[in-house]
Amino acid sequence: MTIEAVDRRARGLKTRRETEAVGLGAVLFRLDWVLLAALVATAGFGLWAIDGITMHDAGGSSMTRQALYVFAGGMVFVGALFIDPSTYRRLWRPTYFGTLALMVFVLAAGAATRGSKRWVDVGFFKFQPSEFGKVLFVLALAGILSERSRSITSTRTTLSALGYGVVPILLVFVQPDIGTALVYTSALGAVLLIAGVRWWHLGALAAATVVTALAILWVLPAAGVNVLKPYQAARLTGFTHPGNDPRGATYNLRQSITAVGAGGLRGRGVLGATQTRLNYLPEHATDFAFASLAEERGFFGASILLLLYLLIVWRALKIVTSARDMYTAIVAGGIAFMFMFQVFVNAAMTMGIAPITGIPLPFVSVGGSSMITNFLAIGILQAIYLRRPGRRRA
Amino acid sequence: LASTARPGRFLPGDPRVEEPYRLTPQLAFRVALLAFLALAVFAVLFLRLWALQVLSGDKYLAVANDNRVRTLRIEAPRGPVLDRYGNVLVENAPGTRVELWPADLPKTWPAQRSELKALSDVTGVPLREILDQLNKHALDPLTPIVVQRGLRQDQILYLHEHDAQFPGVRLAHSWLRKYPYQSLGAQVLGYVGQITSGEYKTMKKKGYQPTDSIGQAGIESTYDTYLRGKDGKAQLTVDSRGIPKGATTLLSNPTPGQALRLTIDIGLQRAAERALVYGIQRAHDASYAHADGGAIVAMDPRDGAILAMASYPTYKPSIFVGHKDQKKLAPLLDPKVADQKNHPGINRAIDASYPPGSTFKPVTALAAMQEHLITPTQLLPCTPDYTAYKQVFNNWTNLFNQSIDLPTALAMSCDTYFYELGKRFYLLPPDRGHPLQGWANRFGLGQKTLIDVGPEVAGLIPTPEWRRAEYPKSQGYGIVDRTWKPGYSIQMSIGQGQILTTPLQMTRLYALIANGGKLVTPHIADDVEIAGSKNQPTRVLRRFGAQPPQPSGVDPTALRYVQQGLEEATHASFGTGVGVFGAFPVDIAGKTGSAEKLVKLPGFPNLSNQTQSWWCGYGPFNQPTIVVCALIENGGHGGTSAAPAALKVFEHYFGKNGQLTTHISD
Repeated sequence: MTIEAVDRRARGLKTRRETEAVGLGAVLFRLDWVLLAALVATAGFGLWAIDGITMHDAGGSSMTRQALYVFAGGMVFVGALFIDPSTYRRLWRPTYFGTLALMVFVLAAGAATRGSKRWVDVGFFKFQPSEFGKVLFVLALAGILSERSRSITSTRTTLSALGYGVVPILLVFVQPDIGTALVYTSALGAVLLIAGVRWWHLGALAAATVVTALAILWVLPAAGVNVLKPYQAARLTGFTHPGNDPRGATYNLRQSITAVGAGGLRGRGVLGATQTRLNYLPEHATDFAFASLAEERGFFGASILLLLYLLIVWRALKIVTSARDMYTAIVAGGIAFMFMFQVFVNAAMTMGIAPITGIPLPFVSVGGSSMITNFLAIGILQAIYLRRPGRRRA
Repeated sequence: LASTARPGRFLPGDPRVEEPYRLTPQLAFRVALLAFLALAVFAVLFLRLWALQVLSGDKYLAVANDNRVRTLRIEAPRGPVLDRYGNVLVENAPGTRVELWPADLPKTWPAQRSELKALSDVTGVPLREILDQLNKHALDPLTPIVVQRGLRQDQILYLHEHDAQFPGVRLAHSWLRKYPYQSLGAQVLGYVGQITSGEYKTMKKKGYQPTDSIGQAGIESTYDTYLRGKDGKAQLTVDSRGIPKGATTLLSNPTPGQALRLTIDIGLQRAAERALVYGIQRAHDASYAHADGGAIVAMDPRDGAILAMASYPTYKPSIFVGHKDQKKLAPLLDPKVADQKNHPGINRAIDASYPPGSTFKPVTALAAMQEHLITPTQLLPCTPDYTAYKQVFNNWTNLFNQSIDLPTALAMSCDTYFYELGKRFYLLPPDRGHPLQGWANRFGLGQKTLIDVGPEVAGLIPTPEWRRAEYPKSQGYGIVDRTWKPGYSIQMSIGQGQILTTPLQMTRLYALIANGGKLVTPHIADDVEIAGSKNQPTRVLRRFGAQPPQPSGVDPTALRYVQQGLEEATHASFGTGVGVFGAFPVDIAGKTGSAEKLVKLPGFPNLSNQTQSWWCGYGPFNQPTIVVCALIENGGHGGTSAAPAALKVFEHYFGKNGQLTTHISD
């Protein structure tokens, strides 16, 4: 298919890769220490927060389990450092189609049990392909775009990237997991932006997204076609009128806003946080973890976490500018934006300024798939940073 | 690292693989854009966080605190109702109520629905009823809905055992009304039910809650404020599923309702209700097949204390307690079924009116004497019929043919005598007004008696003015309809035509005759008290007592002739009531009445002319202590059914042999 596939050795690439292989010393020397510190601090803060949040739950504190995930995430992180991002680029096809296959499998299994199913049970560990899929999706799309970097401004490129991107988004959407589908969409947008497609293409895509959203939420239901189940639509639009339905779809939202507000400046502490402790706040260990944190630790606690997130986003964007090649720049940009998007949608929904979706809060929400995926994402960022151009001591 | 040619390389670099990467200004711009977006996004988050936590923190803290605290209501036992001798007519039995706390129900509709369905299956309350209530209180999820009071033991056990399947359902102690005398006095006592939204709107200011029980009729309604007591309060902390965390703290103890003592004598009440059934039976025996309802009032003519107030058909107030069987309630709540069952919910003594017939004649007699249209000793002809204005008015029997005085006319109930008086009233010059109607009003007819149970109708004493207003020109009535014709005055003289009175009004009229011309105010409640125990005497908190009787301005001499006529009616050989009361050892005076009324009989399309059987009177004649009025709907002549029924009441009151029973001195 490509010349490199025919005769890679002949082009001397292997030699160059070998010279660029990263040794342990290089890792230590060239690592983004600020990002690493932010990662450690965020994960630590998350563990501390989740301990308080889940302390009064039926199964007791989830901290131990979560710590295990952090440990596993740490291993993945370290592992990611030693993998050259180019590997991902070359493997974009298996990555992409493998992810698709998993999602189809999840759907099929879900259809068998009826209703929403996002999990794949592999015995010792139930994992959520759409979570890992976030990073794989960025890696694959970046591969596709960097392969077309010469014709990046052509409509064809934009359309083919769009085509590749839309399929997994739809698969996640029908799981149904609207939140994650939105995250995927945001990643697609970021990847296209950093890859350098034309502005008007981006504008058209943004407009198309808005039109689609309107159609799904408003135009089609008015015409009698319901793409979303009623409760989904209610959750998505409920935040615009939270007082409307005291017992229905916006119950979670009202409880969440109450929890955040009640936290005040300093928080109510683990014992005093009745919204969390007495279970008024549903899903407080996962989707609504931010509200729970805000109730227990107050404005101070929630602000520390938000600042840590901001630090991570800042370092990630910085890595975009110091990336070695187009591919890694796109990957870093996609990860950075996707991360920011997740933080925003999750925190904003608990405060009633974004639709309610089932997106976990990075490094805080209980869940192995999310934790490990986030570690992997930061690991890839570090791997990119390690291989940045410039003087290095081997 | 660029893809420039390197030593040992024989092919040019593949640009797709080794794209030279530079931080172009375009890319820098795009990254900056992302950075700017990130800053904006986090700024929004911080601002919102600040607004919620710091600016409105106190407000949300209050909401959060309310969220978990449930204020429980400790029901106060409702006050008992006693008769005049302290017999308990209505009391409380401990029971269990099922409450539904909307805030603690499952948050998803399918789960909620299946729980409510299960609850409906256990309690037997239709699911739609529960949902209706829930919707009514949708804006107030922290106030529980009472699904049902008075659960059976097996239902309680089931709900306890399956506690976990019923989040938001709580069992609480409750008090249920209990009626030891079953249906006795049903219409007087009334019943207790859930406050309606209309009632709540008007009662809100008096501190009523939307989930309160409230007296719905009879004295339960009139004296609700005394009977209801004050509920206690307790607080409980719960989690989001309504599962209690920690102990209940008592905020205030319930204050039991006060006892209400009535002037009713339950023994006499029983006698009156049995007498009604007996009277109806008598009517049936005399082939008045449509006799199917009636009323009896017994009252103390000195102060207006009601001793018995019976209405037939009747019902058991207990059907409103606990589990409500719609079938049993239908005769009271469903107009169609009520029609078939002849409206057992109506208190016919006060809430229904009938033409009084001959029982009205004392009014005509008194008014005629007061207006000097006749003297009591003046003789008028009593003939089979009476002709005036080319119209023939029949006497009730064609056997009479003699001239009689006023007492005899009352005793014989001679219609033609009164027709003549009626004509004289008609012929009075306009400046004299309408004295017959005027005296009727002064004797309390055609107006509410203002007794302390309701609802009450006013009845009707028609006048020429009323007629003009009732048949307005605007609705196409002609001069013929609108004119007061002589026949109306003549018919009214014997209590016929459009005149309508209630049995209680007639009782009040005969009390006035008995007590020497004073108009009493009928009342049923005697006092409010705190029931005594062995060591503690009963403490009266408030005595309602009797309002002083009002003089009606009737001439005592004129009244004495009327009394004489009523006594002769029950004792002279020509008296209409002598067959019933002549042999009774206590001297009873009274008057029969047989009033024609067009009634709608169930199952018949047209109105039919039926005779309403009346008897009103009092005893002992010289020192009256009781006045009784009996009415049997469609019961024929007064002597056929009403008079025998009234006698039964006197028999109970005085004893069969006429010896005063001990309680009279009470």
